[in-house]
Amino acid sequence: MEQNILLQLSHISKRFKTDLALKDISMSLHPGEVLGFLGPSGAGKTTTIKIITGQLRQTSGEARILGTDSTNIDASIYEKIGVVSDNSGIYEKMTVWQNLVMFAQIWGVSNARVEEVLRQVGLGEHRKKQAGKLSKGQTQRLVLARAVLHKPKILFLDEPTSGLDPATAVEIHKMLLDLKAEGMAIFLTTHNMEEATKLCDSVALLHQGEIVEFGSPQELCLKYNTNKRYRVLLDGKEEVVLEQTSENVDMIADWMRRNQVQRIHSCEPTLESVFLQVTGKALSA
Amino acid sequence: MGNTMGNMNKLFAVARIKWICISRNASVMLGPILVVGMVLMYKVLYGSMVGGELPPILTGVILSLGISMNICMDGFMMVGMAIAEEKEKHTLRVLMTSSITGGQYFVGSILFPFVLTVAVNFVVLLISQVSMEYVSMPAFFLVSVTASLISCVLGMVVGICASNQMNASLIAYPLLMVFMMIPILGNLSETLRKVSGFLFTGVLTEMTNCFANETRYMVKPLDVAVLAGELVISVLVFLILYKKNGYEKD
Ligand SMILES: Nc1ncnc2c1ncn2[C@@H]1O[C@H](COP(=O)(O)OP(=O)(O)O)[C@@H](O)[C@H]1O
Ligand SMILES: [Mg+2]
Repeated sequence: MEQNILLQLSHISKRFKTDLALKDISMSLHPGEVLGFLGPSGAGKTTTIKIITGQLRQTSGEARILGTDSTNIDASIYEKIGVVSDNSGIYEKMTVWQNLVMFAQIWGVSNARVEEVLRQVGLGEHRKKQAGKLSKGQTQRLVLARAVLHKPKILFLDEPTSGLDPATAVEIHKMLLDLKAEGMAIFLTTHNMEEATKLCDSVALLHQGEIVEFGSPQELCLKYNTNKRYRVLLDGKEEVVLEQTSENVDMIADWMRRNQVQRIHSCEPTLESVFLQVTGKALSA
Repeated sequence: MGNTMGNMNKLFAVARIKWICISRNASVMLGPILVVGMVLMYKVLYGSMVGGELPPILTGVILSLGISMNICMDGFMMVGMAIAEEKEKHTLRVLMTSSITGGQYFVGSILFPFVLTVAVNFVVLLISQVSMEYVSMPAFFLVSVTASLISCVLGMVVGICASNQMNASLIAYPLLMVFMMIPILGNLSETLRKVSGFLFTGVLTEMTNCFANETRYMVKPLDVAVLAGELVISVLVFLILYKKNGYEKD
């Protein structure tokens, strides 16, 4: 096995009774990489994370995490990875500080590190606050702080910004980019294509338990940029969308020569439209 | 060595978490307070009714009431509710994905309720004012410790079956009816007294009845069999349920 592969899934499938929730999932994760599983609700994102982190057994295929087969992992694996599930809770009756210190004790982490993480997530002034009184965004930051307290090699995040308002989501994104800059590998799931585009080095589009596309967000968008189009705003406040044909190119050139173009954009696809094109289904469905 | 230290730290972290959660949960902390309060109240009430020293039979009733209530309220209610609360608030999975083993969670969960149950049993014995001359402390300690342990293991069973605090109390209810009420009602009915002899709480209250009646307590083979048998059965039930789905079903 390659030394610098943290995580390797080969032909993973998962069947719930008769329901095939995952079909032939293969992928790998490297140090410092942010990998996203992008798909609508029910696509199999949570199931994938649960299998990799040993909370669920796959029906077939092999998952290796930090060199160990996921069916053989025991509790000690969690000293090296951080897991934020889609509903990770906090101890509401404890203070923010206590919430972190309990886990610091579990991982043998110093109070200085707790202090550092607390400041990093911007909850320094709230350390004495009862955790149950935090806002939704603050709670999620506390959950993240807890998950990285022991400097895990891989951080798993199941829809980390789902249910948060856009401004709070942006704060979380900033935190994740900081962690990435520190060299932490992140495996995240999302149904938000903007989040995937912004954070991920590579994205797997997951549809009904299958990876239907894989690549960097930019690669994917360019790959599906088959019929190029341009959105042009003219002086007369008229906006037109034109396909790449020789007449249209001449027309645009003509407008430009006459300085009639206010604004011009190429309409390359977003991950959203790539997903729609590949699966025939919208992400937000 | 470092590993052993780390494992102890994990266990104590769980115990610390449980301590904070339980001690701040008014509805379960009411249990031991209620027990001590009731024993005191009955002492005073009956005392004023009979005017002075209580007859042994009444002391026996008060003792079996206090002890069976304590074993059940502190043991399976406290342990079970605390696990149910963790499921409700989605913190159990967080713990189980933070390198806590099933065993550490087990011991950490019952540590505080277990110590509390044993301690309150002693308090109840002391404030009941049985004549210490007839109290066999080593026997009381052993039986009380075993009974408290069984009740904590049953608490783990309640916790494993429950998905929230509401149905934890529903699941604990039949256990309460059997293990708490039968020894108490055994004071009134001969049939129930016989049944009570087969319950771990009954073994303990039979012993305290002996203390109250000022007769020497003799350990009977049946008592040992009941205590050992029910400990083994409750551990087995726990293990079977744990092997099936862990602490929390997916
Ligand atoms: N424990 C389970 N039992 C039966 N079916 C399940 C279970 N967990 C998930 N599923 C099914 O597997 C599919 C994928 O679910 P999930 O991984 O939760 O999707 P996502 O996280 O992408 O929303 C869904 O069809 C869901 O109904
Ligand atoms: Mg999900």
